Parts: sequence; C-alpha cells; structure tokens
Amino acid sequence: MSETLIEIRGLKKEFLLSHTGAASLKTMLLWWKKRELEHLQVLKGVDLDIHRGECVALVGRNGAGKSTLLSLVSRIYKPTSGTIQVKARMAPLLELGAGFHPDLTGLENILFNGMILGLTRKEVLERTPQIVEFSELGSHIDTPVRTYSSGMMARLGFSIAVHVDAEILIVDEVLAVGDYAFEKKCYDFIDGFRAKGGTILFVSHNPESVLRVADRCVWLQSGLVKEDGDPSTVLASYQAAGADR
Amino acid sequence: MRENLKELWKFRELLFAMVERELRIRYKNSFLGFFWSLLNPLVTVAVMTLVFKYLLANQTDSFSAYILAAYLPFMFFNMALLDSAQSVLVALPVVKKVYFPREILPLAAVISNFIHLALAMVVFLVYLFVVWGVNGFQGFPFTWRLGFLPFLLVIYLALTTGLAFIISALNVFYEDVKYIISVLLYLLFFLTPIMYFSETVWYALKDRPSGELVYTLYHLNPIAMMATAFRKVLVQPGDIEVKSGAESIMVGSLPFNWGLFGVTCLVSLFLLVYGYHVFNKLKWRFVERP
Repeated sequence: MSETLIEIRGLKKEFLLSHTGAASLKTMLLWWKKRELEHLQVLKGVDLDIHRGECVALVGRNGAGKSTLLSLVSRIYKPTSGTIQVKARMAPLLELGAGFHPDLTGLENILFNGMILGLTRKEVLERTPQIVEFSELGSHIDTPVRTYSSGMMARLGFSIAVHVDAEILIVDEVLAVGDYAFEKKCYDFIDGFRAKGGTILFVSHNPESVLRVADRCVWLQSGLVKEDGDPSTVLASYQAAGADR
Repeated sequence: MRENLKELWKFRELLFAMVERELRIRYKNSFLGFFWSLLNPLVTVAVMTLVFKYLLANQTDSFSAYILAAYLPFMFFNMALLDSAQSVLVALPVVKKVYFPREILPLAAVISNFIHLALAMVVFLVYLFVVWGVNGFQGFPFTWRLGFLPFLLVIYLALTTGLAFIISALNVFYEDVKYIISVLLYLLFFLTPIMYFSETVWYALKDRPSGELVYTLYHLNPIAMMATAFRKVLVQPGDIEVKSGAESIMVGSLPFNWGLFGVTCLVSLFLLVYGYHVFNKLKWRFVERP
C-alpha cells in the first residue's frame, strides 16, 4: 500500500450546544446558566488512514460528523482528543465564494483568495492567467464580485482552488455548481488530478457522484466509522440501512 | 506564544495582502480616496479651533497645531479599535473554512489604520512647515524632540494592538462588546487632553485637596499620557492660557513627566503581550461559539 498522507487516530470532537441562541453579554452575566449547555459528541473516536492517490467519499446521515471530520482535517477545529497528521499540502474547496469581498474585482479577489489558500504572492500572480482562463469569466474578471451570479462566483472559487496545486483536495459537497459544461469540466479536472496521483477527501449525498469518482467509501454513523471499503458495497449497505428506517 | 509567533511569521505575506485589501476596499468607491481620511480631522480641528480661539477667546499660541498633534493619534486609536472589533466576526465565514493564523484579522485592521496615521503625520509636519513660511519664517517649528516620534508611534501601536486583540476576540462571543467600546471611546475623548491641555488640568487641580493625586491618576490613563507626549514632540512649546481659580493666566508648558510616561510604556508592552495571550487562548473557539 502506498504512503499514508492523512493519519487519524482516536479522534474525538465535542461541542457545547447552547439553547439560549446567539451569544451576548447576557449569557456571560448569567454564567450559572452554563449548566444548561449540552455536550454534543460529534466524533467518538475515529481511526482513519488516507493514502496517496486515493479518492475517499464520506457518506452518512445529517449530523453523523462528516463535515466536522473535514473541518478537523483542515485545522479549523482543534480535536477534543486524538491526533490528526497531515503530511502534504492541502486545499479546501470553498463554498460559493466564501472569502470573496464583494467590492473587489474578480482579479483582486484571486490574489487574496489564493494567498489564503496557502500560495505566495508570486505563485498567485504566476497562475492568475490560467485561473482566469479556467473560470471562463472573460471580461467579467475586472468587475466587482458583487455583480456576479452565484454560478460565476462558484466557478471563480473552484478555479482558484484547483490551481493551488494541493496534493490533497478537501471537498464539502460543492461539485454541483455552475452549468452542465462547467460541471463536466470539474469532473475532467478531478479525473486529471487523480491521474496525476492527487488525493481527494470529499463529502457527498449524491450516490452517483460517489460511484463516479470515489475508489473508497467511508460510512460514518453517529460519530463512528460504520463501514469502510469499496464504494458500491458500502453504498449498498448504507442505502439498505436508510431504507429500513 | 513562540509557536504562535513562528506561525504568524510564516503567514506574513497574507498579512500584508490583507492590509493592502483593507486600504483598497476603503477607497474603492470614493473618488477622493485618502483625502477623505484627512478631511475629517482637518474639519474637526478647524471647528475646534474656531470655538476655542474665538468663541471662548482662548489666547494659547498655535492652538490648531496643539489639537491636531493630540487628535490625529486619538483618531487612529479610535478607528483601529472599532475596525478590529468587527474584524474576526465579519471574516467568520472564511475562518470556518480555511486555516490561517486568526490574529492576522485584527492585526490587518490595526496596521491599515496605522498607515493612515503615518501619512496624516507627514501631512501634519508639512502643515507646520507651511505655517512657518506664512508667518515669515519666524520660530522654526521643529525641535530635536521630533526624534522621539518613531518611538512614540511604536508604543502607541503596541498599546492599540494589545487592546485590539482582546476586543476582537471578545466581540466574537459577546457582540455587545463593540457597542460598549464605542461608548467608552467617546467618553475617553473627553478624559484625554485633546480639546484642552494637561496644563489646564494641573492648574485647575493644584490648589485643591489631593489635587496632585487626581492629576497623577488622570495621567495613568495611557491615552491621556500619550496625547501629552505627542504634543511635546510635535509642537514647539508656547504659552498656554489656563484657568487658575477665578482668573485666566498665561503659563509656559510644564516639564515632561518621565515617570508617568515610563508607566505608560510598561502598560503598553504588557497589554500587547497579555492581549496576544488572551487572543491565542480564545482563537480556537471562534468557530464553535455557542
């Protein structure tokens, strides 16, 4: 088996859930109300190894911990306990232009977003022509992002992310963006990325896209790995479990 | 803390890019750009000068210069804290998706405002120079004390950054913080020698019981002490009109209180370190706020 890129051991994540709603000074002043906070165990000890060149799909019901697991891998959360080791450059595929500033042009947003994804200024400037080309935005690239449609924004976001040259791509259910032609382009890119030995970790509720791109499927159920293996087998038992309900 | 600083250094290019972005956004849709941020203090100071020099008939020399020297730094302090209070909160959608050192957000807010202050200071020095020329080149406006200006700016930056760390972190969890801060800043404006002088305070207090104590307490406020320090450095000392008892008298400026200034420096450095510590303790919880 090839080299392990992501190594997850005994990963647990717990959230404090408040029933009082938005945070305010009121919650601080009423400190004794802290007892009302609920401890929510989202991940209850996950062990997972992701190897170079794998394309792993995470499936599971809402609240099973899929997105939490992706966030932990991207260092957004700190684990409650357990360890995660990531041994390669990693880039998240952002949702519809998260991090874009509406008043800046597409071009100006490329620079900033590229840098937030871990490129240096020089690297972003070198890749800007390819990013613009891939996004198919043409002359719109010089207009403020607030004038973009959501599809255009998603295309720009996707184009930046794929030019980061990450070895691991983290995708949280955003492949269904843009029109049919662009979707095809995304799948082509993913095929190319995989052919070059890239690793992908993604969450999806769409069985077709799982079968289309994944070569391994992990089923998470209430914070634990329920089944791990070949996509068609795992999907079959996942869907059977869903049908039982 | 050393680990965090190392990480921040690794991401320094992102910090610069974010400062650049802040500056760009501010002037994106306005034609006169940087001019606007100068116009505000200039108009304010013109009105203040009008009120004090003519309506209240205060005889102090170079009144406008005195006000500007204290008002420009205060404006920086004010804007930097208000901007940084919101900095993490508005960036939360990105913070929830990508990893980068979160301290970059308040830092960019403070630094972009600091660049404004630096530019405003240059304009102020040019203004002093022009006034000198208009007055027939009498009384050269700059002294050797001007050499202290960079030092003062660094201390002020440390003070502001430390507070910005604390405020931006707390504002994520308690959104009331920014309202409290804007009220406090408004009050602080009156508790700081901007429209008046530390000499005014001294002559009003010196004959009262425990007046000296109140004077000292007043200057333990780092912002008040810094306002006086900026005036000492930027403006050639002249005669100041103050009230002593019932009558108005003209007095020379008081000697600089190095002891109290030392306290301000120590407080500023402490706030910088403590603020960074608080921020680092809270930053992992930003994304999981209740």
